[in-house]
Amino acid sequence: MNKQILTVMRKEITDNFRDRKTVMSSIFMGAVFMPVMFVVLMNFVVGMQKDKAEEQLELAIKGIGNAQSFISFVKTKGVKVNAFTGDAKKAVENKDEEAVIIIPETFADNFSKGIPAKIEVYYDASAKGAVNVTQKRIKSLISEYSRTIGMTRLQLRGISPILLQAIIIEDHDVSTAQSKGAMFMSFLPYVLILGLFMGSMYLAIDTMAGEKERNSLEALLLNPIKRSHLLIGKLLATISFGLVTLIATIISFKLAMPFMPLQDLGMTVDLGFKNVGILLLILAPLAVMAASLQTIVATYSKSFKEAQTYVNLLMFVPMIPSMALMFMPVKEKLWMMATPVLSHNLIINQIMRGEQVAPLSIIAAIIGSLFIGLILALVAIKLYNRESLLFSD
Amino acid sequence: MIEVKTISKSFGEVQAVKGVTFCAPDSQVTALLGANGAGKTTSLRMIYSLITPQSGQVLIDGIDPCKEPEKARSLLGVLPDTRGLYKRLTARENIEYFGKLHGMSDEKIKSRTASLVADLRMEDFIDRKTDGFSQGQRVKVAIARALVHDPQNIILDEPTNGLDVMSTRGVRAFLQKEKERGKCILFSSHVMQEVSAVSDEILVIHDGVVCASGSEQELLNQTGKDNLEDAFVHIVTDGEGHE
Repeated sequence: MNKQILTVMRKEITDNFRDRKTVMSSIFMGAVFMPVMFVVLMNFVVGMQKDKAEEQLELAIKGIGNAQSFISFVKTKGVKVNAFTGDAKKAVENKDEEAVIIIPETFADNFSKGIPAKIEVYYDASAKGAVNVTQKRIKSLISEYSRTIGMTRLQLRGISPILLQAIIIEDHDVSTAQSKGAMFMSFLPYVLILGLFMGSMYLAIDTMAGEKERNSLEALLLNPIKRSHLLIGKLLATISFGLVTLIATIISFKLAMPFMPLQDLGMTVDLGFKNVGILLLILAPLAVMAASLQTIVATYSKSFKEAQTYVNLLMFVPMIPSMALMFMPVKEKLWMMATPVLSHNLIINQIMRGEQVAPLSIIAAIIGSLFIGLILALVAIKLYNRESLLFSD
Repeated sequence: MIEVKTISKSFGEVQAVKGVTFCAPDSQVTALLGANGAGKTTSLRMIYSLITPQSGQVLIDGIDPCKEPEKARSLLGVLPDTRGLYKRLTARENIEYFGKLHGMSDEKIKSRTASLVADLRMEDFIDRKTDGFSQGQRVKVAIARALVHDPQNIILDEPTNGLDVMSTRGVRAFLQKEKERGKCILFSSHVMQEVSAVSDEILVIHDGVVCASGSEQELLNQTGKDNLEDAFVHIVTDGEGHE
């Protein structure tokens, strides 16, 4: 490669590597913070759900004396019963109790007459997480009791309780353990692409708008180097930061995998060497596109701050396909595989579902994003060659 | 040697330079003297081929920068109007970067930097990161990196702008030394004492044209004044003393 291009690239890398802010925000944020945050969040959510589902249920009941048989049924189910006195609504509102059950005085009377007897349940449906688990368990306890009593009554009258069940539903869920995991992991394409964008962002801004802001551009342009070479050197430095962040992100995700409670959710996500290889292979060409796009945007800005605003907006671009695919599944087609970002989402999702990725898809994804990336790089060079580059303010 | 033949340039409706012609020979300091907005910076930018003249021609030691920009630039050392440095690099690294872009070998860069450090008295700060440098230190580094390839032709846009007395003297002494080494030096200024102190030939530029030229004494004789400031005012106002 041209020696001058290498000189520019090496200088930009050294220069920016000395900036702690750049290194922290690109490599650290993308590669370390994201996976760690994900592991912590996932464990927290899963742990909370699991604890609640297995924990001994404690029920606050007002009017225990009104329904002795219900209370003993509940106790046989391993539930601890606490007598409750006071205002049920307030206690739930103030979060003193997750839920309160009130058995009215009329209960025993209605029950013995065979009229539906009422049990009141107070809970907050808008409360997050664990409360909903408790609430569901209470309701299923009560309906189980109700069903048992109902069946007994029918049998006493000589009617088979089977008659009540006109239809049986038989579940056939064809999703594999992996494809359930895929739902949880559908954020992964976005995180990887985002890491890539974050990695090259500061370099693009610093090498373009930064050069203008610190007034070093004019002197730089006076060196006997073609502007296209100058830009290629800068672009290569920018791309290399994107790639480093990408590789770091993939590695840290692979390392974080064992700490994700995937088994508890019944998923197996295979991030073996083959799949890691595919990830690298398809995402690396995207670095060219990300860096060129950011460089183009940064050429138009005259200050670091201005460039930062615009380049940050660019982060939403890769978000669109990720979001869309989260809500509407599509059948993969070849043109989709040649569309950058979209193809990456589709292929990564396939990997997460444990499907085989067709080699043609991988080739299409690589060629597609390289092609667009190179066109954008040419546009960046063209823009850098303008005479008005220095005077664009 | 820098030859300039009727170059002109306009930005939109404004014609900044309207046919500037002059020649700056070797072993001489040539000054472009003009008020703010007279067209000095634009003229210099055309000479060092940052912008292309709409008409006319520039020759640097016989090379046309429009045809061979890289070659022309390697014959030039330019201290532009903007002289920002890379803050996270040391002064030495700033200079080395430009040396490498000029295709110099590591040993050559090292020896040339050593002589520039001595000439410009940069020993105290050459290996410090340039963040927080004083104006004087910054200009010295900017001059050193512009001249790292020891060019035959030196162009400086307002070189002592914002410098204190000691730094100004340092830069002047340096230019004097370069002149004695046979270099062609062209600089722009709006400061009379400066022009008077260092230049052999003065070009008065006003409203985008060179309206008078000669040594300081010649300009004084032409206008019948006894100092350069009065002579300058006389020239740019056609003898009326006001605009």
